[in-house]
Amino acid sequence: MRSAPSIDWRTAGSCTSRSRRAMQFLVEGFRQAIDLLLHPDRDLLVLIRVTLIVALGSAAIALVIGTPIGLWLGLARFRGRGVFVGVSNAGMGLPPIVVGVILSLLMFRGSLLGGLHMIYSIKGVIVAQVVLALPLVIAITITAVQSLDANLLRQAKALGARRGQFSIFALREARGGVYTAAIAAVGAGLSEVGAVVLVGGNIQGQTQTLASSLLVSVSAGQYGQAVAVGLILLGLVLILGAALSAAQQRVPGGAAVRGTTVRVR
Amino acid sequence: MTSVLDAEGLRVDLGGTEILHGVDVSLSKGEVVALIGPNGAGKTTLIETLAGLDRPRAGVIRYDGRVATGLQGAALASRSVRANLELALAFWGVPKKQRATRVDDWLDRLGIAHLADRSARTLSGGETRRVHLARLLVLEPAVLLLDEPFAGLDVNARADLLYEAASALRSGERATMIVVHDRAEAWALADRVLVLLDGQIRASGTPSEVFADPPSIEVARFVGFTGTYNRGGEVLALRPTDVVLRDDGELIATVRRRVPLEEGIRLDLSFEDGQVVAVVPEPGPPLGASVRLDIVGGVRFADAVDRTTVDPVT
Repeated sequence: MRSAPSIDWRTAGSCTSRSRRAMQFLVEGFRQAIDLLLHPDRDLLVLIRVTLIVALGSAAIALVIGTPIGLWLGLARFRGRGVFVGVSNAGMGLPPIVVGVILSLLMFRGSLLGGLHMIYSIKGVIVAQVVLALPLVIAITITAVQSLDANLLRQAKALGARRGQFSIFALREARGGVYTAAIAAVGAGLSEVGAVVLVGGNIQGQTQTLASSLLVSVSAGQYGQAVAVGLILLGLVLILGAALSAAQQRVPGGAAVRGTTVRVR
Repeated sequence: MTSVLDAEGLRVDLGGTEILHGVDVSLSKGEVVALIGPNGAGKTTLIETLAGLDRPRAGVIRYDGRVATGLQGAALASRSVRANLELALAFWGVPKKQRATRVDDWLDRLGIAHLADRSARTLSGGETRRVHLARLLVLEPAVLLLDEPFAGLDVNARADLLYEAASALRSGERATMIVVHDRAEAWALADRVLVLLDGQIRASGTPSEVFADPPSIEVARFVGFTGTYNRGGEVLALRPTDVVLRDDGELIATVRRRVPLEEGIRLDLSFEDGQVVAVVPEPGPPLGASVRLDIVGGVRFADAVDRTTVDPVT
């Protein structure tokens, strides 16, 4: 990507002049963002592609694994269920940096998962994102299923719904919540940095995402470029979030599970 | 008549408390049975146990055919009316090709064909109950169990639906048990009435038998015999129509309460051997006044539990 000159704003004069300089970075960032979007170079396109692969791939895997688990935990009644629900709720607050450290240690050559060659690869980054998104999907699905009218579920049983039919019925009724889970998972995948950098190594063109490239830009003092990439990232978050929200709003009662929005970490 | 459901000795616990204490129920093909009882008597528990939703601690249930159950609340899925009926048929195992025809047929029979494509979420209370009923009838079950299908409706909507249901529920092929709220509904719908009190069936018979000739003082109280008169070792259960105020009446009572009604004034009267209710034209005697009355009807019991005669006292 084309870069703006590197300037260390921390040593760039008085408070007033620093504030003026920060505004210049912002304006410069907007200018660069527009320039990048109008004339995207290969580096930017690769960054967006890697970001989308990580966000959408990890969200899809987390939904495939987490939705049935959330559905089961939302519907089933068994001893110890509360522990599972508590763990998934607590998992929503998993520190990405800790997940990154643990997964890196597990993925290093010679370690438990070393044979899978996932360290510093996009596969490893996706695995890390799945670990972070899975509790979100499970917890939100549980809440969505538990929010369903108990009479409606019991009526389905009274009408003779078999186990499979009953589960599909409950999932369909709770689909507004599943959309919420998808929005949260995609948002986490787009915005996460800590685990991506530790597991993926932040390798340009391979494992670097828009969010993790911001770290490099900021470290290099390229604030204009950082703002530009940040604006593009925000645009992606808004576009994907809006698309999923539009689908969610078409569901009757689709916004029933509230309080969970796209998280930027 | 051929029995399609037989339950014997049903005992059901909920939350460690026994709700049903050895209930026997039998339903025959073609009959409509009204189940009545006060709140907490165990009506819903009985319906849900017969439906297989609650498991009895003891007892046996035998079916000849499939059972469809409509629970309280009439909860519909978040989809169109037609899709709700088709979903029920899918649960029931009806092949997809047959569903549309059956749905159209029953929507038409219940006069709600115009609602077919409406979302269930946009229906009024009365429309929801009609769709709920159609969703059960479309299954054409051998046994239909309905738990308070008219609950939550205003008086007019309730009356409309009651008359429509009275004909829709009639079928020579189906046995129906319906939990109803009051005697008028039981009269309109049922061939037979079961009275459930404290988790036990205390009366079973035609509406005229049960309501005119209750077998115990408890059943009598529940079915509207609001007064009692202890006379010479026997108890008379009395309805307001059994009590007449006359200047030369045999008994002297005191007016304890006055409640205005559409048809006059309801008086709660007490005397040495009993308490009765009478309805008199306005303005009626004032609170605390002494009045004379005669007993012109009622049902006689040897004590507070057992009936000794089925003949009304005149």
